[in-house]
Amino acid sequence: MPVKPKGEAVAPAAASPSRPSTPKTKRKLRASALVAATAAAVLALTACGGGGGSEAKSADGKVELRFAWWGGDKRAQVTQAAIAAFEAENPNIKIKPEYGDWSGYWDKLATQVAANDAPDIIQMDEKYITEYSTRGALLDLSKYDIDTSKLDAAALDAGKGEKGLTGIAAGINAATILANPAVFQAAGVAIPDDKTWTWEDFERVSAEITAKSPKGTYGAAAYGTDEASLGVWLRQNGKSLYTQDGKLGFEPSDIAEWWAFLKQLSEKKSVPSASEVVEAEAAPLDQSGLATGKNGLAFWWSNQLPALEKAAGGELQILRFPSKTGKADDAKLWYKASQFWSASSRTKHPEETAKFIDFLTNNVKAGEALLADRGVYPNSEVRDAIAPKLAKADVKVVDFIAGIKEELGEAPAAPPKGAGAIQEIVKRYTSEVLFERLSTEEAGKKAVDEMKSAIS
Amino acid sequence: MSAIGELSTMTRRKGPMTKEEKKANGRDNKAAYIFLLPWLIGLVAITVGPMLMSLYLSFTDYNLLQPPEWVGLDNFIRMFGDARLHNSLRVTFTYVLVGVPLQLGVALLIALVLDKGLRGLPFYRSIFYLPSLLGGSVAVAILWKQIFGTTGLVNQVLAMVGIEGPGWISDPNTALGSIILLHVWTFGSPMIIFLAGLRQIPVMYYEAAKVDGATTLQQFWRITLPMLSPIIFFNLVLQIIGSFQSFTQAFIVSGGNGGPSDSTMFFTLYLYQKGFGQFDMGYASAMAWFLLVIIGAFTAINFIASKYWVFYDD
Repeated sequence: MPVKPKGEAVAPAAASPSRPSTPKTKRKLRASALVAATAAAVLALTACGGGGGSEAKSADGKVELRFAWWGGDKRAQVTQAAIAAFEAENPNIKIKPEYGDWSGYWDKLATQVAANDAPDIIQMDEKYITEYSTRGALLDLSKYDIDTSKLDAAALDAGKGEKGLTGIAAGINAATILANPAVFQAAGVAIPDDKTWTWEDFERVSAEITAKSPKGTYGAAAYGTDEASLGVWLRQNGKSLYTQDGKLGFEPSDIAEWWAFLKQLSEKKSVPSASEVVEAEAAPLDQSGLATGKNGLAFWWSNQLPALEKAAGGELQILRFPSKTGKADDAKLWYKASQFWSASSRTKHPEETAKFIDFLTNNVKAGEALLADRGVYPNSEVRDAIAPKLAKADVKVVDFIAGIKEELGEAPAAPPKGAGAIQEIVKRYTSEVLFERLSTEEAGKKAVDEMKSAIS
Repeated sequence: MSAIGELSTMTRRKGPMTKEEKKANGRDNKAAYIFLLPWLIGLVAITVGPMLMSLYLSFTDYNLLQPPEWVGLDNFIRMFGDARLHNSLRVTFTYVLVGVPLQLGVALLIALVLDKGLRGLPFYRSIFYLPSLLGGSVAVAILWKQIFGTTGLVNQVLAMVGIEGPGWISDPNTALGSIILLHVWTFGSPMIIFLAGLRQIPVMYYEAAKVDGATTLQQFWRITLPMLSPIIFFNLVLQIIGSFQSFTQAFIVSGGNGGPSDSTMFFTLYLYQKGFGQFDMGYASAMAWFLLVIIGAFTAINFIASKYWVFYDD
C-alpha cells in the first residue's frame, strides 16, 4: 500500500490528467502498441523456443512423461521406487511425478486438462472416470499394447465405459471399519466379532468405549463425511447409490434414516460432537482420530490400513461393516477398484504411456515396489509373486479382501457423470443434521434434489 | 492542492510547444512506454486477456473438458434460483458489512493512540503492521484454525475460568465470526494510512480549539474526523473492494468447502467450487462478472455518499 508523504494523495477517484487526443498522439499510441505487440510476439516466440528444446530431446530418443497421483508420503515413496524400476528398464523414458492431496488433486487436474496440459498418466477415481472419459479426456487403452489377460474380470470391467477401456484398476479394496485395539484395551472393552455384529452392537460398543475413556476419546468416528458408508447402508437396505442407468438409486427417506441413526449415535455419544466431526473432516490421514488414538472405530478403505498403522504407531484391526441381521453375508460389501491408471487422450506419447501403464499393471518389479498401497494387486500373477514380500500390514489387507470374497453383494453400478460432487453434498447435509439446523427429512429432501441435479 | 492536481498543471501547459520540445517530449514518451512495457505485457497477458475470455465464457456452458457452448444468458438466469449462491451472498455481505467497519474502527483507534507521540513509535508501528503482512497468508489461516479449534488455545484459556467454548470455526454459528475476527486483526495497513493522515492535520487547529476550551472529545469530532475523512473514505473503498474478493482465509479455515454447513461459503469460494470442483466454468465466470457489478455498485455508492461526509481541505 503506497503511503504518500503528503496526506492528500489519497483520492483514488482523481482521474488521470486528461490529455487532448490529437491525431499525432493517436499515431504515437499506435506505434507503441506495435512495440508492445512485437514484444508479446517475441515472448511467445521464446516460449515456442522452449518447446522446441524438449522436442529436440525426443529426437535423441528421450521421452518425458508426466505422472500424476494423489496420496500421502508412503505412497510417494513406493511410487517413486516403481518409477525408478521402470526407468532402469527403459532408459529412454523419463517419468516426472506430480502428486498431492486428494482435494487439491481434482482442482488441479481439471485446470490442467482445460489448459491442454494434462499429465500423460493420471491416477483416476471411479467418481470422476465417467466425467473425464465421456468428455473425451482419457485415452482408450485397449487400442494400445497393454496386457490385461491376467487381471481379475471385475476389476477390468470397472474401467470400461462407452469410450472404451479408459482406466485399468490399480488395486482392489473394500469399505471397512478399522479398529484401534489400544483404545479398546484402555477402555476395557472387547473388540466385537465382525462376522456377527449388527448396527446396534456398533452403537452399544462405541458408547461403552466413550463412557470408559478419557474425555475427548470416542468409541467411533462419525460416518457421513463421504458416500462410501452411505453406499453400504443403502445396499443393506436393498437400495444403492446409483442405478445402472446412471440415476440415484435411493429416496430422500433412505438417506434420512441413515442420518437419523447417526443422530442417535451422536446423542448416545458413540461418535464425537458435531464440531469435532467437522474438524476431523479436514484432518489428513495421519492426524485422523483413529491414528491419534481418539477413536476406537473408524470408516476407511482397506488399502489405507498400512498407512494408518504407520501413523498410529501400532497395530490396527480390519472389521467388516456391521449388518442389520448380524450375518456377514448381509454386510453387502463389494470389491472396488481403488484407483485407475488412466492416460490423457492428448498425450504426445501414447505408446510410451501405455508401456508404463503395462509395467505398473503386469511387471513384478512394479508390484514389489507398490505392494498393497493402492489395494490388492488385480493381476493375479503379480499378486502371487509379491506375496512373500508383503509386510505384515499388507498381508492383513490381502487376507481380509480374500476372506470376504464369498460374502460380497453384487457389484454396484458405476458412478455416473457428476458423481464427483456427491461427497461434498453428503458432507454438508451431515453437518446440517448434526448441528440440528435441518431435520433428517428436510436434509434428505434437499440433499437428494441437489444430488439429482449434480448427476443429471 | 493534491499531488495529482500538481501533475495536471504540469501537463496543462500554456501556448504551443516548440519543435525541440515536441521532439524531447516524443523521446520521453518512447522511453516511458519502454519502461511500461513489462507491466503492459503483464496487463494484457494475465489480466485483460483472461478477463475478456471469462466474459465470453460467462455466456457459455463450459465444463473445462470440452469446448464451450454458447447458451446466452442462461448462467445469469440460473443465479436467481440458486439457493447456495444466495447464501454465499449473505455470508459475503455479512463479512464486508461487519468486518470492514470493525477493522477500520480498530485501525483508527490504534492510530490515534500511536499518534500521541509514543516513544519507540516505529517499533510499535511495525508490530501492529505485522498481521497485515501475514493475515492473508495460508500459514496464518492454519494457525487461526488451531487457535480456534475445539481444543485450541482460546478454549484452553476459557477452560481455565470454567467455560466450555464451542468449536469456534467448526460450529456454523461462530465460524464466520472467527473469520471476521481474523480480518479485523489485519488492521495494520489502514492503520498506517490513518497514522500518516493524522500527521497531516495542522497542530494549530488543535491549539486554537484548546484556547477556546474544547475538550479532547470535541477536538476529535470537530477536527480529527473531518480532517481525516478523505483518508477514511480511501480506506473504506479499498477495504470494501478487498473484502468482497477475499478467499484465502475462508478457503483454508474451512478446508476448502466453505463449511460447516456453508456458513463460511464466501461468494468467491462458491465460484471456485463451481468452476473447478463441479466443472461448471461458464457459471463460475458469470458469477465473477456478477461480483464485479456488485463491487462496482458499492464503490459508486461510496463515491456518491462521500459528497455528503468527506471534507477536502483544499
